[in-house]
Amino acid sequence: MMIFGWVMQVSWAQSDPSGKRRVTSSFAITNATVIKSPGDIGSKATVLFKDGIITGIGAGLSIPKDAKVISGDSLFVYPAFIDGGSNIGISEPMDDESTKDFNSSNPPDELAGITPWRMATDFYSSASNEVDEWRKVGFAMSQVIPEGGMLPGKTALVSLGDPKNIAIIQANVAMAANFRGSRGMYPGTVAGVMAKFRDVYQNSILALEHEKLFASVAGVKRPQTTPTQLAMAPVVQKQLPILFTANSELEARRAISLQKELGFKLILTGLENYESVIDLIKSSGTSVMIKLQVPDDKAIKSQKEEGVTEATKAQYARVKEAYDQSLKQAANLEKAGVSFGFSTLDTKASNVHKALSTMIANGLSEKAALAALTTNPASVLGISRIAGTLEKGKLANLILTTEPLFKESSQIKHVIVDGYVFDYEVKKKSNSAPNSSATPENSENSVEGVWDYVSETPAGSSGGEITIKKENGVLGGSISYDDPAGSGKASAPIKNVTVTGKNLKFEFDVSAGGMSFTVTVSGEVNGKSMEGTLSLPQMGSFPFNATLSSPSQLN
Amino acid sequence: MKKLFYLLLAFFGLGCNFSQAQVQKGSVLIKNATVLTVTKGNLESADVLVQNGIITQIGKNITAPTGVQAIDATGKYLMPGIIDAHSHVALDVVNEASAPITSEVRMKDVVNPFEIGIYRALAGGVTVSHAMHGSANVVGGQNATLKHRWGAKDPADIIMQDAPRTIKFALGENPTRVHGRGNGIQPRSRMGVEAVIRNGFNEALQYKKAWETYAAAKNTKGNTLTPPAYNERLQTLADILDGKIIIHCHSYRADEIYMLINVAKDFNIKKLVFQHTNEGFKVAPEIAEYTMGASVFADWWAYKMEVYYSTAFNAAILQRNGAITSINSDSAELIRHLYHEAAKTQRYGGLTDDEALAMITINPAKQLGIEDKVGSIEVGKQADLVIFDSHPLSSYAVPQMTFVDGIKYFDVVADKDDQRQLVSATEMVEPIFLRANEEAHRCMQDVEIFLDAFDVAFLKEKH
Repeated sequence: MMIFGWVMQVSWAQSDPSGKRRVTSSFAITNATVIKSPGDIGSKATVLFKDGIITGIGAGLSIPKDAKVISGDSLFVYPAFIDGGSNIGISEPMDDESTKDFNSSNPPDELAGITPWRMATDFYSSASNEVDEWRKVGFAMSQVIPEGGMLPGKTALVSLGDPKNIAIIQANVAMAANFRGSRGMYPGTVAGVMAKFRDVYQNSILALEHEKLFASVAGVKRPQTTPTQLAMAPVVQKQLPILFTANSELEARRAISLQKELGFKLILTGLENYESVIDLIKSSGTSVMIKLQVPDDKAIKSQKEEGVTEATKAQYARVKEAYDQSLKQAANLEKAGVSFGFSTLDTKASNVHKALSTMIANGLSEKAALAALTTNPASVLGISRIAGTLEKGKLANLILTTEPLFKESSQIKHVIVDGYVFDYEVKKKSNSAPNSSATPENSENSVEGVWDYVSETPAGSSGGEITIKKENGVLGGSISYDDPAGSGKASAPIKNVTVTGKNLKFEFDVSAGGMSFTVTVSGEVNGKSMEGTLSLPQMGSFPFNATLSSPSQLN
Repeated sequence: MKKLFYLLLAFFGLGCNFSQAQVQKGSVLIKNATVLTVTKGNLESADVLVQNGIITQIGKNITAPTGVQAIDATGKYLMPGIIDAHSHVALDVVNEASAPITSEVRMKDVVNPFEIGIYRALAGGVTVSHAMHGSANVVGGQNATLKHRWGAKDPADIIMQDAPRTIKFALGENPTRVHGRGNGIQPRSRMGVEAVIRNGFNEALQYKKAWETYAAAKNTKGNTLTPPAYNERLQTLADILDGKIIIHCHSYRADEIYMLINVAKDFNIKKLVFQHTNEGFKVAPEIAEYTMGASVFADWWAYKMEVYYSTAFNAAILQRNGAITSINSDSAELIRHLYHEAAKTQRYGGLTDDEALAMITINPAKQLGIEDKVGSIEVGKQADLVIFDSHPLSSYAVPQMTFVDGIKYFDVVADKDDQRQLVSATEMVEPIFLRANEEAHRCMQDVEIFLDAFDVAFLKEKH
């Protein structure tokens, strides 16, 4: 069920038996180099904040008596980051049950992924591990997007702060939209989704007209506005923007063409490949949140120097060119004069630093990078008054780093969200890898437990759970996957589970449409994550990623 | 100032046509070719001058205006760009197979200008293709007529914006299998297919009436009428009844072809083309009398029950009965040698050179409603042209250069090995999705049962 993180707030009793209560809500960061906004070169100053609000920034400020002092010597202070679009802390809605008279050619809205009345706040948990992960890398706020189909619901702006506080800053920020079709029913494809989108939009306008007439003229039949139309009203009245997730250039064009046709306010998020639409983004004035990620370099790294034909070398060159080009996209967006934000949708917190430094190494200015993390999303989300820069009166959302933010060796020591200070361990400078946090040595036992997996296919991603356990000395278990017979999940036993060194391999059978086929999954396990492929006879292989969400406690 | 510009654009209804300005048009002089005009006979050692994408002069001893490149085509053959009236090249989605009528779906929404099939088609001399919705539904989506401007990044740049609207219909086994047997809804039989069409049109008439009634009442004093629900599905069917859209109907058997002719007569629909039409030879006079003809395979059949009664003489019989007849590909492979497919009508039926060439040029142009713009070499037409090394109906013919709007998009001499427009940064070799039956035409792409099971489980692309 949904977990309401913020209802956990309890009224403070006179005493605090837990011992966790803060001594003070007043803080002073002394003698730090403060970078107030993108482009600011920084100057030594003291930062005061109390009750979650910045109360002063400057040199020579007197420190209030009740303030806890954070020694800022040698530290750098920046405004904390704002995530333009994510699913941090968001759980999936329960699958709706099909009704008896279900007709796949005309399904009810909630089964077809059309649930604009849903709110991200109902699916958000501030106690989620993801909140910690993203805060740790500098994010203090995020626009969270509900999970679902073509119109999954309304996004919310949340504070990634202390779970005891109410996280919601603003409940209805934008209406989320995807080009994702519904499984086994109308609309099933991008083509169907676009047609259905127009239908929903136009009928929401007509519903408003009907209501208006009903309110002003006697004898008009009663309006029967659907929950979909009701929820879409602020969108068609151009009060609530649509936050369209568009990965590719073609998807971006499709969203913009719908916008031109229908006239809603549009924000694009999750952009991954957008080189050829930069001009269109600029000319259409569309706000964009690009994916905070750079492409993986596996294909580049696997290129061999010797023993390959000229034709292969030519192919290598093209992949290399595409790779280099893709790293430069953010810089090109800046060059075109588009102010953009970042979206962390489908990205990993641990890759953020590398993604940013790669973009900067490929021409993105540090100023634009910081703006994309702070002022730009603040402006798109309409919160510039309270966030984005360090100023007296704004929310006390800031980060303290050991070195200038974008320096390779820079580490985050504190993240402050709503005036709550989160401390992070800073590693001594050494040659050790940044991810030296205890990775347990891999053994056969360590694959046991419950894994969450995602398989990427050309039509989108699909996922479920894998349970691996040892019975009578043999590894086995089960896997859940999207049910071929309709909505919901199906599950199958896994077989032939083998662990060789770091490699895990298993198979399972799927039957659908009267056919049965064996799916093989294999990959490399590193700590709690697995990367590999899912392959099907005659169909090819697809990327497969899994994380061990609850390791077995057996030993 | 800028505001005024946008206002003017909106005023002239040009808002959506920004991209049209991007479409490139070229000028070129092709000299000393054997010009196969298709509609006006052959000209030996003739020159064709193209200016700004339009054929402006045909004759002898034309000199190139300054700045216009001249290409010597001595000993070579120049013919109009080949037109494929049935293709699925450059579409990200072929079937929205989830309902028996999906006339609201637009293939123009899912055009993918990066698909390599466009270049391969150009290498086979094809300059225009009809990117159709699949045949899973009785009434499928609206199709897109494409101009093969390879290299364009904006889908709008390869859509032939001045071509009329067309829509896919499908009769027989496909819609009855997907909806009747697959989902337990109408249509389960050929009778059901006819009922779906007739009910659809009748509903469309009611829909149109409801909006007309509302529009008339809307501004009268004390009006209590409320707007009817918007329904693009029915609006599109109403547009067909109003003669705004050409039907292209997937069909095989003579009885179902004749059925649709009767339905069209009852609803006064004049713009109707049959696709595949394997038993067209049995009802050729009826097709000739009432429709815009048939678009057929040269010799392809027996891939399912309803396609067994077939003959390679089909095209010739239709043609000689006066039906407008074209030869199509419905395949990313056949599209590369449609000139060869057209030549088969000479082996099976003894058609003349002009009749055979018309099957892949002016006739499909007529069926797509673009015969005033392309399909033959005439002054004033768009300069979609192909140069062949020998007569295009010869078994040895190889296309040398292909032009769209006077721009050369294919040149056999400058044919790089890797013509991809879009290369993945993260994959060494792009994944190739093998279809269960590679030989099958793509009409049922996305719907194959095995694929369906796979799609359902892992691709989330359900039908």
